[in-house]
Amino acid sequence: MKNVSALENIHKHGLFGNYDSKDELINIREIKDVLIYQIVKYKKSSISIDKIKIDNLNLPETLLVSSNTNTRILWMGPDNWLVVSTNKEIEKSILENLSHDDFALTDLSHSRTILELEGSLVDEVLKKGCPLNLDGLDEGKCSNSAFHAITITIDFISSNPRKVRIFALRSFGESLYHSITDACLEFGYKAE
Amino acid sequence: MLYIKCPYCGLRAQKEFSYGGDATVKRPNINEEVSSEDWDNFVYMRKSPRGKHIELWQHIAGCRQWIKVQRDTATHEIFQTAKVTEEIR
Ligand SMILES: [Zn+2]
Repeated sequence: MKNVSALENIHKHGLFGNYDSKDELINIREIKDVLIYQIVKYKKSSISIDKIKIDNLNLPETLLVSSNTNTRILWMGPDNWLVVSTNKEIEKSILENLSHDDFALTDLSHSRTILELEGSLVDEVLKKGCPLNLDGLDEGKCSNSAFHAITITIDFISSNPRKVRIFALRSFGESLYHSITDACLEFGYKAE
Repeated sequence: MLYIKCPYCGLRAQKEFSYGGDATVKRPNINEEVSSEDWDNFVYMRKSPRGKHIELWQHIAGCRQWIKVQRDTATHEIFQTAKVTEEIR
């Protein structure tokens, strides 16, 4: 089944805003065709998560991400994680390593719009709509927050160059896209 | 804007939270006879103190957890926050 992006008719490639300025451009791309699973450990479960590995990654602690080239596992809250992967076998890996008695697994692959922002001015864009203190939120961290009242998850992929992924519910995707690109106009951005 | 220290995520802006009312209200015990007055008090009646107040907040745009916050309703100073399973004294 083809996955139709919420940004199908919105995300147009090209240069926009003040791209002639001396500022470094912000690159915006959409991340599509990834598998997304929510893992929640049941309250009644007493299992330790220390030894659990999914795609050879452990379930990360507060505000952290564990990652390899295919898969990123984000901490969403106590006993709650989001697995984002391009590994087609990821569901198998999860099912093999988590017991039904201890964890609830939900396929959220079609439920999110993901934007990836890259460039030295990414933090300036985030600061326009998000109340997070970005100090210390560098490579390998993640956090939920809001951007102009849209609930988002930010995955801080790399610090140098600064690269983040912003997740929102699919139905908020278009709104988020306009909010983010509007915030980028003053610096200039390249949609790719 | 208030800054609220989520016991899970750390200091965050009020924008990420939603207010959940008085945290000291106790539900009448299950399987016990409840008078109409007690039920009425539990459902509707709330104090409106000036000063320290223990409240429920939800970190709705964060870790989604309900937390307790002790706040001064006059100055908005926040003294303490805790998980719902913990007590604020
Ligand atoms: Zn929190």
